[in-house]
Amino acid sequence: MRFPNKLFLVLFWTCFAMFGQNKQVLYDFVEIPQSAMINPGVDTDFQWYAGVPLLSGISLQAGSSGLSVNDIFADDGRRINDKIRERAIFGMNARDELSGTFQIELLNFGFRGKNPDNFYTAGMYIEGDAIGYWFQDYAILAFEGNADRLNQPFDLSHLKTRGEMMNVFHIGLNKKVDNQLTIGVRGKLYSSIFDFNSTKNKGTFITKEGVNNIYSSTIEADMQLRTSGLNGLKDAIDDGTVGSTITKRAFFGGNLGVGVDLGFTYQLNDQTVLTGSLLDLGFIYHSKDIKNYTLNGKATIEGIEIILPDAAADPNADFWQDLVDDVEGFVPFEENADSYIAFRPTKLYGSLRYNFGEHVDNRANCACGVNASSNRARAKYVNSVGGQLYVINRPRGPQMALTGFYQRRFGNFMSIKTTYTIDKFSYSNVGLGLSLQAGPVNIYAMADNLLSYGNLADSNYASFQLGLNIISWGKK
Amino acid sequence: MRQVRPVFGIAMIKFIKSILLCTLSCLTLLSCIEDQDFNQYDEIGVTPTLEASILYVEAPEALVNATSGANVFSRNFNFDAFSSDVFAKRVLDGTITYIVENTSSKALEVTIELLDVDNNVLDVEIIPVDPSPMAMLQRDVAYGSSGRSIDIIKNTSSIRVTANNLGDNTSTSNEPDPKIILKSSGKFRVNVK
Repeated sequence: MRFPNKLFLVLFWTCFAMFGQNKQVLYDFVEIPQSAMINPGVDTDFQWYAGVPLLSGISLQAGSSGLSVNDIFADDGRRINDKIRERAIFGMNARDELSGTFQIELLNFGFRGKNPDNFYTAGMYIEGDAIGYWFQDYAILAFEGNADRLNQPFDLSHLKTRGEMMNVFHIGLNKKVDNQLTIGVRGKLYSSIFDFNSTKNKGTFITKEGVNNIYSSTIEADMQLRTSGLNGLKDAIDDGTVGSTITKRAFFGGNLGVGVDLGFTYQLNDQTVLTGSLLDLGFIYHSKDIKNYTLNGKATIEGIEIILPDAAADPNADFWQDLVDDVEGFVPFEENADSYIAFRPTKLYGSLRYNFGEHVDNRANCACGVNASSNRARAKYVNSVGGQLYVINRPRGPQMALTGFYQRRFGNFMSIKTTYTIDKFSYSNVGLGLSLQAGPVNIYAMADNLLSYGNLADSNYASFQLGLNIISWGKK
Repeated sequence: MRQVRPVFGIAMIKFIKSILLCTLSCLTLLSCIEDQDFNQYDEIGVTPTLEASILYVEAPEALVNATSGANVFSRNFNFDAFSSDVFAKRVLDGTITYIVENTSSKALEVTIELLDVDNNVLDVEIIPVDPSPMAMLQRDVAYGSSGRSIDIIKNTSSIRVTANNLGDNTSTSNEPDPKIILKSSGKFRVNVK
């Protein structure tokens, strides 16, 4: 294999290995400041915290619901074309996907206001998000062709994909309303680096017995690919100015959007906690560096048709060119630069947690204890168990994941959370998260789908997150 | 104070490096990967077989009767599909199918010639056609490994169709709307990768 091919292969799988969404281990892991990023209404007791720039939050996630690297490239003596045909072409369907996300926090900090019930957060992070559904009928057409598939329609809606990369600036308020309820809101400003989406395609390609000739081929298409920022990046690559182009766009030089995160924590009783959050309720308005492509119309052809004697009237007629012109006229492939709005993939989290066992001393700067009058002062329990729900809005409709978890605290020094998650990628996703507190230094690391570590190549889903923060509880 | 900050910074960087090193080491130690053979990528073959109609010619019996002499019709039709780069550079093998239907009272000879860009004849197919009633006549011409040279297809730029009347030009068929029809389609395997 030539090096570029190897590189392509590695990049292809790595790119998809970089994408996913659910952060079930981090969610409601209140010892970690970044838990506020997925629930702005998290029950936090910090006086202030500051993430170490570039290291406070790194998360990479990947998901493939139908295929793993091992399925295709396992050294098992079988012919790769047979494996592709069996496991990909006909083994997957149009609802299978490759998807995911990455986030790198550039800056993240938070501090308690003069009113101790208010906790403010702010920062910025780079995020990339992409999803590609399995384009099954396109794959069948590409690998098998349309021969001997009379009357079988190839569904053009199987092309469904979207992706984006952006810098996100955010500022949030976490407010303790009373002893039971904490609410949070975060405003976001999205500075887009690039975006592409092709999610509302319709149409078919079909070969039938012809009316006149042997076969008729019909294409009926209503397809669109919208892009923003890609042409500028291509030019920047040619000019060697990729870095400055991305930096400029990341800091308001490209297309902009706005969004909001909402969240709450509600203490049902002393030991039971209900939480929920709605993230990335927002959109980006793309008006700069736009290039959209459309294919719209219907055409049926049966080859060149010569009906004599009329067809002989013009001896210079070019029937082939007429046919090509007709098809291009009936199903024009066009470009435009129309502005468009791209909605963010909105995410919903919810959880119910039951705390039990011994109490852990609260580190908040207050008179704390079991009977504290404020939930910031409320003592933590050694054990927590519960369930979580995660839903994300995707081009083919919402995707859901259910998680059961157990969290164990070892004083104020260490906390471990383990999760079991069921979603479309895996029924055996076991995750583990660890938060270590050494004085003011907080280190956390988490990974999921740990059972797949026995053979990473056979994994359908993998993710990890890690980060480093400085935290103060304000105690003298 | 100025000396303390760089020392603190260096210590911090070392600390961060240690954490990253430990994390990656743990992940590496804990994870396994079974043997993968990425050289199989070279063996991936994407060779779909594509099928579509090529040319349809229809001539009514009245046209045959109205023509003096044997040659009813002869004409070149531009057909760039085969010689276009996207097809010619990828085609491996395939078949052209001709179907002739004759409901006229004439015996005919239909000749199909594949021509290159300079109108040189690359291939000829002659199909004698009986007068009606006749069975539908089908002829499959293979190109590539088990047939004629695939270069014929790659270089075909136009198709010449000639129909010669082997009968009289006065008789009429009892069939409704008598005519002679030539249908054709191609079925080719192409190498996408």
